[in-house]
Amino acid sequence: MDDEDLTEEQRMLRRTTTQFIEEQLPVSAVRKLHDDPTGYDRTWLSRTADLGWYSMMIAEKYGGGSMTKHPLADLTTIADSVGRYLQPGPFIPMNVVGAAIAEFGTDAQREDLLPKIAAAEVVATWAPFDAAGEWDAGAKLEVSRDGEQVLLRGLRGFVPEAQSADYLLAAGRCDGEPVQVIVPIGTAGVGIEALSCYDLSRRMAEVCFDDVRLPAAAVLGAADTNATENLERQLQIAVVLACAETVGALDAMFAMTVEYSKDRIAFGRPIGSFQALKHVMADQLLYLESCKAATAEAAQVVDRGASDAAEVASMAAAYVDEYATLIAQECLQVHGGIGFTWEHDLHLYMRRIRTTTSIWCEKAWHYERICEVCAL
Amino acid sequence: MSKADQLDEYRAAMREWLSANLPRRTAESDGAIPTEVTDEDVAAGRILQKTVYDAGYVGINIPTEYGGQGLSDAHQRIWVDESAGYDVPLPAGIASVVTMRVVLPTLLHNATEEQKREWIPRVLRGEDIWVQLLSEPDAGSDLAGIRTQARRADDKWILQGTKLWSSGAIHADYGICLARTDPNVPKHRGLTWFKVPLRDERVTVRPVRQVNGSEEFCEEFLDDVVVGDDMVIGSVNDGWKVANSMLMFERGAGHIDLSPSTSQSRTKQASDLVELTLNSVVSGSGTARGCVTGPMIAAQRTKDWVHEVLTRRITARLMRGAANPATSALIKLSIGTRGPDRAIAGMQIGGRNAIAWRSPGSAGEKAANNYVYGRQFAIAGGSNQIQRNIISERVLGLPREPSYDNEKPFRDVLRDARKWKCG
Repeated sequence: MDDEDLTEEQRMLRRTTTQFIEEQLPVSAVRKLHDDPTGYDRTWLSRTADLGWYSMMIAEKYGGGSMTKHPLADLTTIADSVGRYLQPGPFIPMNVVGAAIAEFGTDAQREDLLPKIAAAEVVATWAPFDAAGEWDAGAKLEVSRDGEQVLLRGLRGFVPEAQSADYLLAAGRCDGEPVQVIVPIGTAGVGIEALSCYDLSRRMAEVCFDDVRLPAAAVLGAADTNATENLERQLQIAVVLACAETVGALDAMFAMTVEYSKDRIAFGRPIGSFQALKHVMADQLLYLESCKAATAEAAQVVDRGASDAAEVASMAAAYVDEYATLIAQECLQVHGGIGFTWEHDLHLYMRRIRTTTSIWCEKAWHYERICEVCAL
Repeated sequence: MSKADQLDEYRAAMREWLSANLPRRTAESDGAIPTEVTDEDVAAGRILQKTVYDAGYVGINIPTEYGGQGLSDAHQRIWVDESAGYDVPLPAGIASVVTMRVVLPTLLHNATEEQKREWIPRVLRGEDIWVQLLSEPDAGSDLAGIRTQARRADDKWILQGTKLWSSGAIHADYGICLARTDPNVPKHRGLTWFKVPLRDERVTVRPVRQVNGSEEFCEEFLDDVVVGDDMVIGSVNDGWKVANSMLMFERGAGHIDLSPSTSQSRTKQASDLVELTLNSVVSGSGTARGCVTGPMIAAQRTKDWVHEVLTRRITARLMRGAANPATSALIKLSIGTRGPDRAIAGMQIGGRNAIAWRSPGSAGEKAANNYVYGRQFAIAGGSNQIQRNIISERVLGLPREPSYDNEKPFRDVLRDARKWKCG
């Protein structure tokens, strides 16, 4: 998001966020965490919580609160910085789980978990995908009722930051209907198998549920809730944050590229004076500004819970998926050989952007969703 | 009464007036700008515009001293919202759009007080329709390289040259014309704008038939047209400054006549493609959803929407004065890449139904006519390549191309260019 399009409150939030990041965890410091099994430090995480990274979607009485009546739009300014500085940690899933419990949880669930999430005393993540990475509305996780308990059998795949999480919100099916269950990671029968991640600052795992027994009160919301619409709403929030994070990363990457083209000399000229490269960068700016506009609009529409939120979120996602990749690839092209060195940050951005878009913004899938929503 | 209440009241009164006085948009009119207009249409349209003007709904946010209502942009936006379902008067089709969206703001920014008091009320009342006289047969993207001359003779100016691609000039009253007033200085420094009466006996206007069969654009021959100093817009030899502000309006920014964004308008935007699919699928296969065309339409819808939100965002930024005016080139490049892409998608979705058809006016025929024509968005008003130059140099601040004509007198430019060596 460009500064000029932000409200005064958002601008302040942006300043505090970037100042904190530049002091605490600039990209050079993020690199040092690449081999860390968790990928981030819990003390750092609680400081990010002090800045409101996980509390905007949560009501004040549970320790949350946002500056304006547009919590998701406000949150996108933080998401932008998370992408811009390649910050590690569970930013998107924590916020989705916070929003899910805030909007769909029982009072007991809210009182128990929301203050802890807002303060990052616990790490919570979301597990909506199956082991193949498909959005299966819980099909591959069987949830059965057994008196006052529920029994979970099956798998969840590509679960972000599962390795460091205390809770995960897992999508499953109970009597054929989608439900979500709040699972404490330490529960007997929960197995976590780490995946190797393309984004060196992210951790992901497959989680298996081997007859996991939980009280029935672990089901999100009232016991008979059909979670289809809740999952949809959570997906929209995740998509908006993923787009915003990607836009931040793209913006940083593109600025580096423009600067490089002004500095690098070849054939007696800065390479940025060649039309062949200028036109590439002009197109990149068009796509980047389009990504920003789509993201900002989607944030507002999803914030309002408007009737066309599903379509708008999917349009933003599909567009960002296609053009983020194009912008990132062309940034590498303009940089030439230097972009292939490990020391250069370009590849870190490419890993981050591709990872975020592959999880949440996959174009083909979102086009399918648009066809469905619009009955094409 | 609070400001919001006042706006609500204004809206309610407008709504009532609209339903009593303007024709509702039909599926056929569909809010499109009419391309083929007859003299009778123009005459009727002028009367209708006068009716709307008299009701206070033309020039809502234009100062009263220029014949407007002197109300806020918020009031104007209400008109945009409320009038969306009606056929608002555009007497001369595209020329009226140019008059209201390009010429009017250009005059407001650049004309003298006296000119504004005399000219603008006539524009608002529908009495004067203006077109731009910009491009020429030998100069388009290189606008500062135009050849039309304005010679000084006594206290008058004499204009000589040919202009091309003026939308709807056949129905227009005046042209805002760019001419060279000093060939002995570099190209950007010897240009001046004139108001040229198109009904003058020394002006010949000829429609140009285009690839889609329409005759929307015209060619004008200026054969020693004489105008006085009172017809100069901006300062003599300082026309490039005016040109830049005009091009910003032309690129689709700077006016607040923003299209409302609703699901309906999006549905409408892609409905042509949906219709194509329904015509193309073999009977029995039902809707487009099961076919390969579903995702193609979804992609086009997505890009239509993104173009819409991008335009709104950049326009808002420019209106706040928060952006470099060259940013408007992004809107133009977006249109210029969207147009051909969408036209190609139409042919892909239409398939064989877009190369031969039974009934005239079919979705396939429309797609076919748009196939070559869709390219015009990438060319008219400054080609995509020109927009990319503007974006890269004036927005991103990339180093300029070496120039071969910026520093020398314009009269030497063509001579030197002919000596250009190849290989």
